[in-house]
Amino acid sequence: MTGLYLRWSALVIAAVVIAALASRYFEQNLTSLTPEEIVSLQPTRVVRVIGLVKGGTLRGDLDSGHASFELAGRQEALPVEYDGPPPENLRELKTLVVIGSLDPSSGTFLAHELALVTNYGYVVGAYLIGLLPLAIFLFGMERKVTFLYREIKESKLYEPETAHHVDTR
Amino acid sequence: MLTRGKKIGIIVSLLLVAGALAYLALGNFGDNLVYFFTPSEVVAFSSEHYDQKVRVGGMVVKGSVKSQSNPVGMTFELTDGAATIPVTFQGIPPDLFKEGQGAVVEGVWTPAKDFHSNMIMAKHSEDYMPIELRRAGVKLPKKDFMKTLVQ
Amino acid sequence: MISALIKWMQRYEGWVGAGGGLCILAGLYLGLVASPPDYYQGEVVRIMYVHVPLVQTGMLAYSTLFIGSLWYLWKRDPIVDNLCHAAAGISAFFTALGLITGSIWAKPTWNTWWTWDARLVSFAVMFLILVGYLMLRTFVDDPEREARYAAVLAIVGFVDLPIVHFSVEWWRTLHQPLSFSMRGVSMSKPMLIPLGIMTVGFSLTFFYMLMVRTQMLYLDHLLTAKKGRLLSQAHLSSDVGSSPSSLSTP
Repeated sequence: MTGLYLRWSALVIAAVVIAALASRYFEQNLTSLTPEEIVSLQPTRVVRVIGLVKGGTLRGDLDSGHASFELAGRQEALPVEYDGPPPENLRELKTLVVIGSLDPSSGTFLAHELALVTNYGYVVGAYLIGLLPLAIFLFGMERKVTFLYREIKESKLYEPETAHHVDTR
Repeated sequence: MLTRGKKIGIIVSLLLVAGALAYLALGNFGDNLVYFFTPSEVVAFSSEHYDQKVRVGGMVVKGSVKSQSNPVGMTFELTDGAATIPVTFQGIPPDLFKEGQGAVVEGVWTPAKDFHSNMIMAKHSEDYMPIELRRAGVKLPKKDFMKTLVQ
Repeated sequence: MISALIKWMQRYEGWVGAGGGLCILAGLYLGLVASPPDYYQGEVVRIMYVHVPLVQTGMLAYSTLFIGSLWYLWKRDPIVDNLCHAAAGISAFFTALGLITGSIWAKPTWNTWWTWDARLVSFAVMFLILVGYLMLRTFVDDPEREARYAAVLAIVGFVDLPIVHFSVEWWRTLHQPLSFSMRGVSMSKPMLIPLGIMTVGFSLTFFYMLMVRTQMLYLDHLLTAKKGRLLSQAHLSSDVGSSPSSLSTP
């Protein structure tokens, strides 16, 4: 019985460590600000901004990697100048993450990279729904088997019966 | 020997399996094999198909997407290589909707030979690779156009 | 008393389980942290590393059930029936989780939770067949008949598996076609590795679960049968008023 609990606690600890690593990775590399936060905070470092490319505002030459558009948040829209590798996933009416820094003099956001919206909710949900029930199901089975073996031992079922047939049901 | 409840139980569970298999073999599944029409089939629609809710799948023609903000929506063209139909869409398209990729649109084909839709489902191909490899121009095995609707 | 197969399971289950657990932990790290986002789907592609192995394992479990059912009809060994029963329960579990994770993946990529295309419908049918199988087993009283009916049902239901696998190649679907097919492998290496490790991990975990669950069903039957026999012996040999504690002495 203690072996069962020891094994499972080791597994749970390992899973928690991986979850912590993953959430740290997401927080360090993948947290995004909204256009409103950019306008109010005026950050000077490189940041990620998430928003919707406003319809009818996308201009530029996508094949050479130059584009300008407005990134809309809930209330405000942030003008963005993109300059980088030809964007794979840039179009109007799409939620995008732009990576770059704010030009404080003009209020334009200078982006050098685009990324797709990071749907953590779905990813975390899928992993939890995929793995948690599996672990609980397996743990329950293992525990039951341990109990059954113990019960068989205690009720002396290993001792030979007087009856001859060995139907195992 | 068996109680009535158990007999009913056996029949119900057998019916469940038989019903599921029969559904696969003949029933509704046959209609769903044509999960979507292609633009060629839509162009050939007769008047009784007009204004009926259907699904159409095709590749979004490159350079055909025109969007506007008020009201939010867009127009684009869907093609299967042989025929091309215009689509008018209202709403915000899904994030993975893209020119040169497959999309399945739900809506009606109007007598004006225009497809009206307010539901787009984006189709993605079986390709998976990081963006760096994509930019480097790595080619994965050739696709069957009608399966992936990707060029 | 304890069958040879059960003894073999007791001896080797630990290695299989540990292998499966380690592979899944490694796959989790690779899939969630180390692997790159997809060029087209972005971060959501990470759902693939859990969804695809779940579905594959569900189908592997059904294949085990199919082979076990044939084996049972040939040899009529009750312990093989326990194995089939165990495989069916686990397969239903994996199939349900595969359906749910698939739905979670579909929403951000396809823009819908569910749609009636051939792949989704045929996979849901597989789940229904398994539910029907498990239901049937609870309703038949005679163990020999229960096993026979169930085996036939599992063999008939197996026709769905090739349909599930090839549906995306045979018909028009919203689901993407096979990434591993005659055309080649449509997945680049940094994504293939976590997927492969997760698939191996889930398959090993399935075999481990199969060993544990077969033992569980076997021991359960053993205990019930033995108790029943001892009880009837006690009824035959002693007075009605004898205490239950005296039952175990022959």
